[in-house]
Amino acid sequence: MNICVRTRFIRSNLVSNLCRLSTTPEIEQNEQVVLIDDTEDVQAKEAEIEQKRNKSRLTPAHYNIIHDKRPYEEPKCLAHLTVKYSRKMYGKYGVASGVNPSLCWPSKQEIQERKEFESVAFPYTIKEMMETVQKRRQEEKLKIDQREMEVAAKFAKLDQWKKELNDKINKKAAEVQSAKQKKERLVEEVRRHFGFTLDPRDARFQEMLAKREKEQKKLEKQERMQAKEKAMIAKLQQKNVEISDKSSQ
Amino acid sequence: MGSRQITEKSLAMLRSLPRLSLGNIRDNPGSRRNPKRGRGQHGGDKHGAGNKGSGQRQNYMRLGYETGNNPFYLRMPHEQYYKGHHHRRQYPPISLHEIQKLIDTNRLDISKPIDIASIVRSGLYNFFPDQKHFGIHLTDEGVDIFAAKINIEVQWVSEPVIAAIEKNGGVITTAYYDPHSLMLLKNPKSFFQSGQAIPRRMIPPPDVIEYYTSAEMRGYLADPEKISQERLRLSQKYGYQLPVLENDQNYNMLCERKDPRQIFYGLEPGWVINLRDKCILKPKDEELIQFYSS
Repeated sequence: MNICVRTRFIRSNLVSNLCRLSTTPEIEQNEQVVLIDDTEDVQAKEAEIEQKRNKSRLTPAHYNIIHDKRPYEEPKCLAHLTVKYSRKMYGKYGVASGVNPSLCWPSKQEIQERKEFESVAFPYTIKEMMETVQKRRQEEKLKIDQREMEVAAKFAKLDQWKKELNDKINKKAAEVQSAKQKKERLVEEVRRHFGFTLDPRDARFQEMLAKREKEQKKLEKQERMQAKEKAMIAKLQQKNVEISDKSSQ
Repeated sequence: MGSRQITEKSLAMLRSLPRLSLGNIRDNPGSRRNPKRGRGQHGGDKHGAGNKGSGQRQNYMRLGYETGNNPFYLRMPHEQYYKGHHHRRQYPPISLHEIQKLIDTNRLDISKPIDIASIVRSGLYNFFPDQKHFGIHLTDEGVDIFAAKINIEVQWVSEPVIAAIEKNGGVITTAYYDPHSLMLLKNPKSFFQSGQAIPRRMIPPPDVIEYYTSAEMRGYLADPEKISQERLRLSQKYGYQLPVLENDQNYNMLCERKDPRQIFYGLEPGWVINLRDKCILKPKDEELIQFYSS
C-alpha cells in the first residue's frame, strides 16, 4: 500500500488556498440577512431534537454518506491518511470535505518520477518516429526498385541466352549423331567384309573393327595433313604473290 | 374354483394395492453403487481398478502422452497464424449506419464535435480499454444513406467513410488515445470524483505513427494544409462536389480540434474538475504549468 502521509496539508487555511488556486471560484455567497435566534440554549435544543428524530439506526459514517457528507471527520485507519483518499474526499465532497485542493496535483517528486517514466516509455519523439518510418519505407522501395531493374536487365538478355542454350544442345546432339553414324558405318563395313552377319561380340569381328578403326584414323590423319599442307602452300603462294607485287611496285 | 374366480380375486387384490408412483417403484438394476469399498481377504479385491499398470495405480498419463514416443499432437510442425494476437490493439467497430441512428434518435448532438466520450455517452456503444481496446473503428456500413454534417473524431477509419462524411460537409479526424486517457473518456465522472488533475494524452506508439500522421487518414498529427489538399483529392476520386467549409455557418464548430495532449473537449491537462462545487481549479505553479504543457 502506497501510503503518503501529508496530514499537515489537510484543512490548513482552506478557504484562502482555494481562492488562490481557482481562477473561477464559483462559490456563491448569498448575502441574505435573516435574523436567526442562535442562542446556545436554542441550538442545544435543536440538536437534541435532531438526534431524536434520527431513527435510522445507521452508523454515523453511513448516516453521513447517505446525507452526502464526508463519512469520517478524523482518520480511522492508515488508508485515511493517504493522499489518494484525501483527493477522493475532495473530488466527492468538494470544499465541504475540508481537504486542501492543492493535494490534487502531483508533488515535485511525483512529477520527476513521471518524467523519468515517460522518458523510458516514450524514448522517441513523434518527429523521430516519423523519420524512422520514412527511412524504412524508402529502403523498402529502393530494394524493390533494385530487384526490378535486375530482372529487366536479365530479361533483355533472355532471348540471346535462349539461343545460345539451344545452339549448344543442337551441337551436342549433332555430334552424338555423327559419332553414332560413323560407328554404324564401320560395323556395316566389317559385316560386308565377312559376307555374313556376325555377332558384334565375336573376337574376329572385334579384331576387324579395331583394324578398320585404325585405318579410318590413319585416313583421317592423312586428310588432316593434306589439308594442313594445302593451307601452307596457299599461304606461301600468297606470300610470294605479295612479295612479287611489292617488287613490281 | 374356476379361472373366473382367480381373475376376480387378483383384480380385487390389485384394487386394494396402492397406485404405482415414483415412491414405490424399485431402482433400475445397477443404478445404485455401494458407497463403501469392500474390505477383507476377498471382499475388496481390486475395487474395480483392474490389475497392474497405471489403471491400478490410478496415475494416468497426461492426455496425448505416448509413453516416450514423439506425440502425435507434436509430430507436425505448427504455424502460428495468430501469434501475438493478444498483444495487438483492437478497435471495436461502430458503423456509419449506427452513427446515423444515434443522430436520428437524438442520442448524439451534432451541433458539437463528436468524440468517443459522446458516443459512449449515447449508451449504444461500449468498449474496454483494459482489454486492449483502443477506441472506435468507424466502419463503412451505411455509407450510402449517411446524411449528417458532423465533426467527428474516431480512432480508425477507411477511405469510403472519410468520403461519406466529407461529402456531407463534415470533418473527420483520427486520433490516438492511450488506454489511461480512454478510461477517462469512458467514464469521466468517476475520474473527476477521484480528485486528480486531468493528465496529458500520450503519444502514439511507433507502429501507428504513420497512420496518425498521414493526411489521407486525416490523422490528428498531420499537416492541416495537406489535409485540405487530400480532401479535394478524395472528392475528385469519389466524384462529389466538396462543400466549402469556410462558407459554412457552423465553421467554428467544424474547425474545432483537440490538442494532441488534450483528452476532453474544452478541458486542458492539469485542470482539476470538481463536480460537487461545480468549479474548475487550474494550476498556477510554474513547474506544474510547464509539466502539463510539455
